[in-house]
This record gives sequence, C-alpha cells and structure tokens, in this order.
Amino acid sequence: MAVLVDRNTRVIVQGITGKSGILQTKSLIDYGTAVVAGVTPGKAGTAVEGVPVFNSVADAMKETAPNAAISFVPPLFAKDAAMEAMEAGVKLLVLTMEGIPKHDVLDILSYASGRGVRVLGPGTAGVISPGKCKLGAHPARMFREGKIGVVSKSGALSYEVGKTLTDAGIGQSTVVALGGGPIWGTTQRDVVELFNADPETEIIVLLGEIGGSTEIAAAEYIAESVRKPVVSLIVGRSAPEGKSLGHAGAIIRGNKGTAASKMEALEKAGALLATTPAQVVEIIRKLG
Amino acid sequence: MKLYEFQGKSLFREAGIPVPKGAVVTASDRSGLFAPSAVKAQVLSGGRGKAGGVLLASTMEEAEKAAGSILSMELKGEPVKAVLVEEKMNIRAEYYLAVTFDGEAGTPLFMASASGGMDIESVAEHAPEKILKLPVDSLWGLTDYKIREMADFLGYENKKEFTSFARKLWNLFREKEAVLVEINPLVVTDSGLVALDAKIEIDDDAKPRLKELFKRNLSEQASITGKGADADHGTITYVPLDGNVGLISDGAGTGMLTLDLIRDFGGSAADFCEMGGLTSPEVMYSAMDQVFSDKKDIKSLLVVLIGGFNRMDEMAEGITAYLRDHSVSIPLVVRLCGTMEEEGKTIMKEAGLPVYDDLRTAVADAVRFAAGGE
Repeated sequence: MAVLVDRNTRVIVQGITGKSGILQTKSLIDYGTAVVAGVTPGKAGTAVEGVPVFNSVADAMKETAPNAAISFVPPLFAKDAAMEAMEAGVKLLVLTMEGIPKHDVLDILSYASGRGVRVLGPGTAGVISPGKCKLGAHPARMFREGKIGVVSKSGALSYEVGKTLTDAGIGQSTVVALGGGPIWGTTQRDVVELFNADPETEIIVLLGEIGGSTEIAAAEYIAESVRKPVVSLIVGRSAPEGKSLGHAGAIIRGNKGTAASKMEALEKAGALLATTPAQVVEIIRKLG
Repeated sequence: MKLYEFQGKSLFREAGIPVPKGAVVTASDRSGLFAPSAVKAQVLSGGRGKAGGVLLASTMEEAEKAAGSILSMELKGEPVKAVLVEEKMNIRAEYYLAVTFDGEAGTPLFMASASGGMDIESVAEHAPEKILKLPVDSLWGLTDYKIREMADFLGYENKKEFTSFARKLWNLFREKEAVLVEINPLVVTDSGLVALDAKIEIDDDAKPRLKELFKRNLSEQASITGKGADADHGTITYVPLDGNVGLISDGAGTGMLTLDLIRDFGGSAADFCEMGGLTSPEVMYSAMDQVFSDKKDIKSLLVVLIGGFNRMDEMAEGITAYLRDHSVSIPLVVRLCGTMEEEGKTIMKEAGLPVYDDLRTAVADAVRFAAGGE
C-alpha cells in the first residue's frame, strides 16, 4: 500500500535530458523506481541512463504506459508540459520547479481538478514510499520502510524528520513534500486523508510552518475523521512577527498563521505536539 | 513588482477602466498641479489615507501647500517622492473590488464589498460577511452568473455597466499576470463606476515574458526614487534579525526549525538567510557574502544544509571558494548531509573545515561559540 506511489508506479520524466533531469533520473533508478520513459521534444530515439526518450508524452504513453510524471521542465514551459501529461492520461504530477508563473500554476490546477489529476507542488521535493518507490529528491539513506506517514510543506524539513526517525530505527510508509510556494496543488489535509485510509500507515506526522492556514484545515479534518494518532511539529515558533521567512505563505498577519494558533488548533483536534524532530521520535516511542 | 497608484491607473486607462483625470507631480516638476483636487502620496505601502498621505485642495494655494507637505513626508519608512493630483469626484457610494488568488484553494479569487474605503481591513476582521469572496476558475474565466452575484451583493443596479467593468478587470488580471488588482475605493458617481485607487502587483515570475511592462514600470520607479532597481538576489531570502549567530540554510522549513533550536539552546540568530532547495556554488557564495557584509558583528556562522535536489559537493565548493577570497575570523559551523554528501565532506576536509552531521550538535556548538565558548 503506502500512499501516492508504490511498486506499481510507472514514471515518466519530463525534461529528462536537462542537467537536473539526468541527475535525478539516475537517483530514481538507483533507488529502484520504475522509470519507464523520458520526454524531451526533438530527442526521440535517444536514451538517458538506459531510459528511452520520446518526443511527446502521448508517444511514450503508447509504448510504456506511465502513470506518474515528474517534471524538470524550465518554469516558462512547465505549464505546457503539465497539460500534455494530463491530456495523455497521467494521474499524478510532481512539479519540482520553483518560479513557474502563477497564472500558469492556476491554469494547471484548474485543468487537473477537471480531470481528477493529483498535483504535488510546484516547488516540491516530491514523495518517497521507502523500499517501494521514490518520486522526488529525498536522499535514500535518510528513509526506511515502516508505518509512519509523514507530510510536510517543506522538502528539507521532511528530510530532517525522516533522517531523525530513520536514525532512531523508526520507518515510514510514505513521506510527502508539498512545496513551499504561494500556490500549490495537494495540501496537508489531502495527504492526511490518504494516510487515514492507508492500512499500512499507523501514525501520521504532520509538519507545518508559520503562515497561511492549511494546517488549520488539516486540524479540522483530523478532529472530524482521524482516529489514528497524529504527531505534529510546527516550525517558526521563534520567528519575529510580521517578517516573511522565505516561503511566501510564511507571513504572520495578526494572529492568523502564527505557530501558536496552529499548535492550539492541532492540539484541540487531538494531535500530539512536538517542538523538535527529536521530540517527534520520543512521542512515537511512547505511542509504542 | 508592485506598482504605484499612477502606474496602476495607466494600466486601467489602457484597459478601458474609468479613472479620474490626474497628473503626477514631483518636487522638481510641479507643472501638473491644479485645483480643486485631491493630492495623493505615491507609495508602495498601504494605509496611506490614515497616515495623512491624501489631502483635498480647493484652491491652487491649498494644492501647492498639500503637495509640499506630502512630498516631505515619510510613510512607513518610505519617503514620498511623487504625488498624484486628481480631480475631485462626486461620490455616492464607496465599494471595494479586488481580484487576486487563493493559494490554498489554487484558484483566482474576486473580493467585493459595499463597505469600501479606508476601513476595509477592520470590516474583514469584524464583519467578514460584508465581503463576498468568489473563487473563479482560471481556465473557465469570469462567468456571467458570478458577475451577477457580485453586482447583486453590492446592490449595483446597472448590470450592463458592471459586467463590462468586471470583465475588463479580469482581463487585466490575466493579461498582465497580476497577483493582485485592488480598487479601494471603487466609487459610484453620477456618471457611473470610477476606480478612485489602484493597487496592482505583477507576478515577478512572469518577468521573462512581460519584458516591456517590467522595463517601463521599473525605470519609471527608478526615476522617481532616484535609486536603481533593487538588485536581483535570485532565490535567496534574507531577513536581518537581532542576535549574534549568523544563519544560512538551504530550505525555509529547516531554516525555521534551526531558528527555533537556536533559541532553545539559549542563543539568538543574527539573520534568516534561505537559499531555496535547488541552488549552486554561486548562490552559496553570495549567501555568505550577504550575511558577512550586512552582519559585521556576528560571533559564529551556522550553515545548515540537507540536500535533495541541492548538491552537497556544490555547496562545499561555494563555502570553500568564499573562504579563499575572504578572511573569516569567526567560527564556522557547517552541517552538511544528503545528495553527494561524501564528495561535499571530502572538499570540506581538504580545506581543513569540520563538518557536522547532527543538527542539534551543530546548533549547540554555534550558540556556544557565539557566547565565547571553545
């Protein structure tokens, strides 16, 4: 099981012949991910790391039947590539690039919702189901197979917590990074819902940060529907008020979006609060 | 890119959205001044009206005085270098109308209220039901039934006029790739709807394909402020803070976690500097340059790297290159792990620099060194 990606995931890499595309394709294959095709217009007939390259997703679809796409296409062409993959029938898109024009992102999400396509990102580090499939940048040795489902906005924070869990001998079912941009497809609530329904996930770890209100939406869902234990870590509790710390979402306006208001909502919803990755481990150990 | 009101209004005029007649006046060029008029400070921050940045003038003498007084003001730290002088309107009602996007829902969003004006923020806080928030599908576009819903909510009778107005606003939002187009107030006059203010922000990510728009507006802004356009820092986010532990990270999430840990260990960060998750030796180099040139009195520098897309060999190259070019006398604490970690550690070792693997140990040491410990 796991969520989003597993042993049945067949990956197409869009922008496979670029610098990032080549490097990441190798890292996906080394992990054991089934990379079945790559696309770069004009490069059909070549291969990257043994993966056949096609001119279009439609061509690749006929011969290799991918069901998930990871895109390293430069920002100004990312929308076209995403539309192409969706029209060809791909149901999971991982958009790694930052800096895609916002109206393009809005168009991608509109098209995706009409076609029932799940979008991770933009600006996401992707997703890993340890031991099964890696569809993103997660460093392999920081993760191991297990029962903890982790969802994080920030990619680096998901590595940090994955590493701390793995060093403590605690494995993960799936680790999902959502991307730190001002607009993104899949949210914490969506992934908590997937983990809640996944028989292999026993404990859910929700990593959040100051700014925005997606953690509050996740908290509302947890209060209503989740009976599995949820452990939550919200970073940025020491951030000075009113300062934007990188992710455009991370701007404190009044009380809205502060670490304190999120922690309060999550605690009320029944989540167990940690203030550091080490505490996430402690809490999981206590849960047995 | 945020636009001044007069720049926003020139986009409105091109789009056929009615605006008052007006002229820009600066300290060196007052030829456009007239009366009776409203004299309005041109600044990029909000809350201008409440801060006294808008004055009404009935005579030329009053207009001269108002312009002089506003041109010597500073609003939220921004010196006023230009005013927009506009004809006075006969106002029957003040609405609020804006189009932006809701990032969490992933859709464009119209907002409309019949309680426009200076107090819209307090309306949002205390009477949110007075603001209509209407998601609009970006590909379907602004449909007639949504326009009718807005006009009904505002109580505006002339549906034909409102439809044309709302469509022009939507088209401007899409064509100019705006992240915000706000009209507050949108006034009802004897001759119909007029945009009395204009707050427009264009998506910086669209700059490569809106070259003319950016060039024209940025050079206009530079000629008013007398400064060059802000340097392009690429993906680096830099926020100065008050402490003495310098901080650089390759992700906002881990950067914020580290900020929390520094405080937990009894220290305080001198800055928040985040490079984004896909970076290069050059970005690492310029992040160090940014921190050292702004924070001359830091007592230690903590660099927190955990590579996914980001390569640790490249980060180590950036760090060692900086140290070859600059003499750094404070302790440097580098936590480095993830993609190409072994290669990165080798480069650091060859340069005689210690590397940490555990974040807590790194933070503890950086805080201890900053306090003068060994």
